[in-house]
Amino acid sequence: MDGIINSEIMIIILAAGIRLATPYLLAALGEMFVQRSGVYNLGVEGIMMMGAFSGFYATLQLGSPLLGIAVSLVVGALMGLLMALVSVTFKAEQGISGIGLYMFGWGLSGLLFRLYVGGITSVEGLKAVKVPLLSSIPFLGPVLFDHNGLVYTAFLLVPVTGFILFKSSWGLNVRAVGNKPEAADTLGVSVVLIRYQCLIVGGMLAALAGAFLTIGQANMYADNITAGRGFIAIALVYFGRWSPWGILLGSLLFSLADSFQSMVQVLGINFPYELAVVLPYMVTIIALAISYGRVWAPAALGKPFQRGTRG
Amino acid sequence: MVKKIEHLEMVGITKRFPGVLSNNNVNIQIKTGEVLAILGENGAGKTTLMNILYGLYKPDAGKILLNGKQVSINSPKEAIALGIGMVHQHFMLVPTLTVCENVILGLSKSFIVDIKTATQRIREITDTYGLAINPDAYVWQLSVGEQQRVEIIKALYRGANLLILDEPTAVLTPQESKELIQLLRNMSAQGNSIIIISHKLHEVMSLSDRVTVLRDGEVCADVCTRETSQDALAQLMVGREMAPCQREGTFSPGKAVLELQEVYSQGDKGTEALTGVSLTIREGEILGIAGVSGNGQKELAEVIAGLRKLSKGKISLNGKESTKMSPANIIEQGLGYIPEDRLRVGTIPSFSIWENLILKDHHQRPFAKHLLLQNRVIMSHSSSLVEKYGIKTPTLETPTSSLSGGNIQRVILAREITRSPVALVAAYPTRGLDIGATEYLHSKLLEARSNGIGVLLISEDLEELMSLCDNIAVLYEGRVMKVIPVEEANERVLGLLMAGIAEQAS
Amino acid sequence: MKKRVFSLLLAVLTLLALSGCGAKPTAQTPAPAPEAPKVEKLRIALVLPATVDDLAWGQSMVEGLKAVQKTMGEDKVEVAISEKLGGAVDAGSAIRQYATQGYDIIFAHGSQYQSVLTEIIKDFPKTTFAYGTGFTTHPNVFAYDPQAQEGGYLLGMLAALMSKSGIVGIIGPMESGDAVKYNYGIQQGVIAGKAEVKSRIAYTGSFNDIVGAGNMAKTQMSAGADILTGSSQQAVGALRAVAETKNAYWLSTDMDQSGIAPDHVLAAQVYNWEKIVKKIIELRKAGTLGGQHLTLSLADGTIELKYNAKLADKIPAEAKAKIEQAKKDIISGKLKVELPKK
Repeated sequence: MDGIINSEIMIIILAAGIRLATPYLLAALGEMFVQRSGVYNLGVEGIMMMGAFSGFYATLQLGSPLLGIAVSLVVGALMGLLMALVSVTFKAEQGISGIGLYMFGWGLSGLLFRLYVGGITSVEGLKAVKVPLLSSIPFLGPVLFDHNGLVYTAFLLVPVTGFILFKSSWGLNVRAVGNKPEAADTLGVSVVLIRYQCLIVGGMLAALAGAFLTIGQANMYADNITAGRGFIAIALVYFGRWSPWGILLGSLLFSLADSFQSMVQVLGINFPYELAVVLPYMVTIIALAISYGRVWAPAALGKPFQRGTRG
Repeated sequence: MVKKIEHLEMVGITKRFPGVLSNNNVNIQIKTGEVLAILGENGAGKTTLMNILYGLYKPDAGKILLNGKQVSINSPKEAIALGIGMVHQHFMLVPTLTVCENVILGLSKSFIVDIKTATQRIREITDTYGLAINPDAYVWQLSVGEQQRVEIIKALYRGANLLILDEPTAVLTPQESKELIQLLRNMSAQGNSIIIISHKLHEVMSLSDRVTVLRDGEVCADVCTRETSQDALAQLMVGREMAPCQREGTFSPGKAVLELQEVYSQGDKGTEALTGVSLTIREGEILGIAGVSGNGQKELAEVIAGLRKLSKGKISLNGKESTKMSPANIIEQGLGYIPEDRLRVGTIPSFSIWENLILKDHHQRPFAKHLLLQNRVIMSHSSSLVEKYGIKTPTLETPTSSLSGGNIQRVILAREITRSPVALVAAYPTRGLDIGATEYLHSKLLEARSNGIGVLLISEDLEELMSLCDNIAVLYEGRVMKVIPVEEANERVLGLLMAGIAEQAS
Repeated sequence: MKKRVFSLLLAVLTLLALSGCGAKPTAQTPAPAPEAPKVEKLRIALVLPATVDDLAWGQSMVEGLKAVQKTMGEDKVEVAISEKLGGAVDAGSAIRQYATQGYDIIFAHGSQYQSVLTEIIKDFPKTTFAYGTGFTTHPNVFAYDPQAQEGGYLLGMLAALMSKSGIVGIIGPMESGDAVKYNYGIQQGVIAGKAEVKSRIAYTGSFNDIVGAGNMAKTQMSAGADILTGSSQQAVGALRAVAETKNAYWLSTDMDQSGIAPDHVLAAQVYNWEKIVKKIIELRKAGTLGGQHLTLSLADGTIELKYNAKLADKIPAEAKAKIEQAKKDIISGKLKVELPKK
């Protein structure tokens, strides 16, 4: 066994953990807004797939990952809009419509790939950007400040979404709508509008998470590229108790467990790989199960809003 | 800034709902500084009328005149802009937000919420009217009375000078009610107009300047409070003369039917809710449980019904120990139960009336034979109960949730009493009911008593307890302070015991 | 409601944890062939767990079938393909549908289809079924079985001889079937090539998570590996990660993957499915509907070692000679590449 965990190995594990956390963080922060407004969107995975494809395809065609990101944001917004139409306007059962959206996103992204790309092709994706000065800090520099733009974006979004949710008037509306829509409604806050906005924001962030996979990590596209990451993101919203910092903690826990187990395998440390592979999932499930009893979910989560017809 | 409402008038308001004419050509008016009470039984159309004024419903006919000019109010937002505020019976507060956040919800035009300024303004309002409240507290931490104050602040913050309160004291303790009445008087003295919806006569009498009485959707009287009396209003409201219910005949209890010995149990939050309660209820006795709600009443009813576990102690029902029996066994042993939450615990809201009427017996003869429901038997049984108990419903198939509170209580009563139980637990059976329904329920409880049923009556209404019960036990912090015969009971004695003061009470 | 969603989530998570990959509920229905069947036309169907363009297991078979179709004539052979049938239920219904429509030979191209087949084959005794990797046969079922360890051995030697860091990284999907054989071959080859070179295996836990494989490759490289390889559809993700570096190389299996990374794929183990398909067609014509265990091996040319012409000059001649000798020894039987003992 040549695997002693020295500081160099630690840097690799931590840096990879930061990188791996990005898609979960993006998608989960989006879903946080959605659930805070009282809707749960199980279609995150499908939106991620569409975002992954559109980001990839636009990058391939237009030659710029930034344009790829822009296109994926638009596609994500449209997917969110679709979910809003079905679950808010038509008041469809949210679990079912979310799964429907997932299937739709998977099917459509696969079809579009077949029609317009046809085979495995790689693209020039986002490049790592070293943050001047900060990246030369020993240990922390390579861990935190040597990533591509989307990684920084995802982590910056944690305080930003926190501020929006807890300090802005829109965030106040979102929290009210998700907890007691009738109350918000009587005060002139449009429940429907807020939920639409949240689903669109959630869709955009999920699509961004997908685009990160294709143009920020793999630099190619393949069917089912998300491989369940959207569902993990939803679980992380529960884990993080609908707060950005909790979601950050959950994402890091999951992805650090993942990068740690990868390194354990690579270094040939004697540990059954089957256990190593499920380690991040187990850590999350256990943490989730322990914490769930005490969580405070948005009270109106999953309930379509209907103004009373008879008081 | 919102214009002052000098005078507001609703003229010829008519509103139909499928199958119901809720308001029929209703006229009301109110002027600055006045307290108008809208009095009526449940279903008389009071709330509908106010929801029209607040922009929640659109009237089918009629108009609203504000300071002499016609206005159309299409949403709460528009009502608020005109200076009309409403405090709903069920509070419209977001429990997970702070008081301040609730108050400013929907108001902030800027991206960032200015909590500081808002807190400042809330303090100004609370100081003006003497509303003690901490703007930074979360709403879920507040008592019901405090939450109501938040609702009032919410309306005032938006510049309301006409305040509508829908059954404001229904959820309050007597003390809180007194405080509220004081507050509303204070507000009207400072030039605000107040409309309260109520069916509580004494409250209307003590608070209002004028009373508009609604019956079956029509105005049947519009009088100055000073020129009328409680009895006159009651008659107007119910439409007939009221015979007060009074316990009669001598108290000749039989054997014990329900006995609690040193019962301990935990509340929902894991704290001890009952600490050593011992009680005996005998045949033909009504034992009252007095006390401020939250002192173990709910848990007491639930342990008897088998819905809550005992941590210590013993309960016997009809001579058999029922401590560990399942609720089904306890029902079989002869316990009738009228729960506090009549809609969700007492019935299955989405079930039809006939289904709820046979809820406890549907599995046995004559209602079921060879696993099949006997529809003909059930229907004739149900329709005779509907008739006998005067349940007002379009059909037997109507979902129970669409009935009024009084009618739901009749459904439960019909089901529980026809099963001829040996003991009946009734938790707050008249809470929220109007006079007619209350009177009816009282008569049924007395009828049960004379049929030899042992009744445990939990209530906050001391008058009710003193007119119905043979003995009254006072519950305070999970224990029985004292059991006193009704002859020795009066408001002062009971009040002291309810406050946990035992010595001076005797 | 909240509880229900929560338990749903837990269930999905647990599923993900157990399978290591997403569930696959969708199915493409097999393309129907409504035209009147001509007597002479041979109808072949292929059912794939992943996609036709996965640059690996699936695509290599598709290309083999296309080659057969080309040599025998488009009018003589019809080929229908259903992809993305990872789930046994969906795959089973597709296979049954093909059989009902009268296809002559149905390739169920995945070891996971073995149990599905046993339920279907009895109803269609005149149809020939073939599946792999596997060895259990039935009267109308062929099992095919690439000796992946043979090519793996040669690639392992190449890796050891080419590695500067002395570390060869293997990115496996799961410890099963073909992947185990291949990895076993690589490991033995590495030892044979240069005793002091180490090989490191890490599994992604998924057959199709290319992002995961890419990340695993990054971890491998950051821990020192400079020659990498891996099998199944997920491997292209790892290959792409290798292609982004300057001084690492990739060895591909199942098919030649140098197309998407011409500067990074040194060599490939290539399965020649055309020969296997042809053999099955011949056997069927001769009246043998199944019952044979067909292996792919270096000996009969169904497995080939293919160097990337563009990088040919990077490989020293003596290394090539050494590998060539090993290949001869394997073919002659002098060298036996061992398989894991079960």
